[in-house]
Amino acid sequence: MDILLLILTVPFAFGVFMFLMPLHFKFLQKLHIVLSVIVSVILLNAVGKVVHGEELSMFHNYIFLDSLGAIFLSLIAITGLLVNIYATTYMKWELEDGHVNLKEVKNYFALSFIFTWTMSLSVLCNNIAFMWAAIEATTLASVFLVAIKKDKKSTESGYKYIVLCSIGLAFALYATILLFSAANGKFDGEAMLYTNLIANAESIDGMALKLVFVFALIGFGTKAGLAPTHTWLPDVHAEGPAPTSALLSGVLLKCAMLGLVRYYAIVANGVGFDFVQDVMIVSGTLTLFISAFFLIRQHNVKRMFAYHSVAHMGVIAFGLGVGGAIGLFAALFHCAAHSFTKALAFCSTGNIARIYGTKDMTKMGSMIRIAPITAVLFGIAICSLVGVPGFAIFVSEFLIFKAAAIGGQYLLMGIFAVALAIIFIADFSHFFLASFGKVEGEVVHNSEMKLSENLPLIALAILIVAFGIWQFDSFTLLLDESVKSIMKK
Amino acid sequence: MANIIDIIAVLMMVTSFAVFGLRQYRHSILAYASQTLLLVMIFLALYFKYGTHELLIWAGTAFIIKVLFVPMYLFRLVKKLGLVVEDEPVGGFFISPVVALSFSLAVAMMLYKVFLHFSLFQDVLPLYAASFIFMMGIFGFVLRNSFIKQILAYCLFENGIHLSLALMAYSSHELVEIGILTDAIFAVLIMSVLAKRFYAAYGSLDTSKAVNLRG
Repeated sequence: MDILLLILTVPFAFGVFMFLMPLHFKFLQKLHIVLSVIVSVILLNAVGKVVHGEELSMFHNYIFLDSLGAIFLSLIAITGLLVNIYATTYMKWELEDGHVNLKEVKNYFALSFIFTWTMSLSVLCNNIAFMWAAIEATTLASVFLVAIKKDKKSTESGYKYIVLCSIGLAFALYATILLFSAANGKFDGEAMLYTNLIANAESIDGMALKLVFVFALIGFGTKAGLAPTHTWLPDVHAEGPAPTSALLSGVLLKCAMLGLVRYYAIVANGVGFDFVQDVMIVSGTLTLFISAFFLIRQHNVKRMFAYHSVAHMGVIAFGLGVGGAIGLFAALFHCAAHSFTKALAFCSTGNIARIYGTKDMTKMGSMIRIAPITAVLFGIAICSLVGVPGFAIFVSEFLIFKAAAIGGQYLLMGIFAVALAIIFIADFSHFFLASFGKVEGEVVHNSEMKLSENLPLIALAILIVAFGIWQFDSFTLLLDESVKSIMKK
Repeated sequence: MANIIDIIAVLMMVTSFAVFGLRQYRHSILAYASQTLLLVMIFLALYFKYGTHELLIWAGTAFIIKVLFVPMYLFRLVKKLGLVVEDEPVGGFFISPVVALSFSLAVAMMLYKVFLHFSLFQDVLPLYAASFIFMMGIFGFVLRNSFIKQILAYCLFENGIHLSLALMAYSSHELVEIGILTDAIFAVLIMSVLAKRFYAAYGSLDTSKAVNLRG
């Protein structure tokens, strides 16, 4: 059976299957893990085929998997699996504490497969209108993963999420329509297909392409969390359950960014790279400084990480803005590095909230004594987020500096350094507040989580360090091929 | 035929103002249903003018989903929650429509010229109407506080996009329209569920009360 057909059917079928299962937690827990593993194996199998040079496409090339898509599909597979495994532990705690009931847990597990399905679909679409529909569907599929409870805060976060993302994505749909009408008839072949559009970008009207990119930036940028339309993100990521925040930040934002990268590639090849780079520099700088400003004021650990998501989307935008082969490589690498890091960060907030019964870092302290493994995992996430050498995010941030230096963009290097310095100071002050000193509030759970409960987090930490110190040939190959496809070299 | 298309386009603009401005939910939903019926009529008129078979199918699906299903669902929601009149919008009931109308007219004036340059159909007024309705929807989100009015605002800008799609990209694969429509229906359904929750949690549909997550 075609591997792409499996990706298009299996996660959805598993989601429906999960909805029909009996209300028995241990059974649901095991089933969720097994089905998540199967989904990830299928996704990674497809990625493996791309690494080995196979060209995957179906439905008259409407669905395809290129090297660029394979990078993001591997994030859905790896980060998604580890977060889904952690979700079974997290939901057990929520169930024990009476925050959710068994039916809500079952719905949560089922919806997470539908969510995985929509994200995978968005990565596989060669038809840009399908891609838009799939990205919009990711919002719809994840609303009730965020608003799992029915209280005021949960409802408010769900409301803000769907409303702001829908408005933003409407602009992306206009970008899609405009791109199609500007390209239609300008070349042989269907003008809705990304592969045709990038191959014939030079023949499309330049002014139209510029307007298309501005609309796409507003649209996909809203979904990806780029300033100034990022305002939904801190509320939604801070309020949802920890695994949801990890999935949204670790994977979903990257899928929206992929949408933007595809438009970046088409427009850059049509009107030249200078235009898209200038726009992305402005967007990236604005995003970095706005998020750094809010980051420094945060005491809610999840809200802090949410602003981090905004900041790191800014880093990706900045990488795309610096441009060149190294800048693009760095931006794409950052998508993976941030995915692992932010998944670990948000999952560790699940442990932390269990220990202190609060997300307020001013009421924490002495975590290193109460739960040393969680404190170390939290520390690894923080170290990677601020770009300490030896951790994954350092690699991409260093490469962005390198790309800027090679291009003689010294002013950009300075701006980037200042923004990262603010983030560095904010993060370590928060980390020390939570991990050391004496406890300011109360300790609800005065011990470390079980090793089995921490395993997915440990795996994420290993990935962060591994990507920081090691070069994985398969992954580098995908990155190189993606950069070549964007630059048409 | 050109005159009929233009007349329908103008009527669509008038109904979008009605959806935005009418205070009673039932009237507002009726205005939306009327607008969508006009959208179906414009698809049919374009089909007769240009012989584009695709738009005949689009008219059929839009009639079932957007003229019948969505308004009926919203009527049911309003009835279930026992709502009659919407909450006070930003700037009050008078200023809010004036601001939306003037800005939508201005933005549509800029946008339609760009769209006209690349559009498959060179019908000026419908292209202008599509941009205007889209902007009225955007302003509906910004200026109206009622959750139900915001759902209707979503429906409005979705109608604007639907009309743009028909004028600028009718020749795209039929699955494109189906995908976009499916998203729109699910969005309305999910927003309706959230509206019910919102009403249960806050005791009203006034979204300006949603201020628990600032910072």
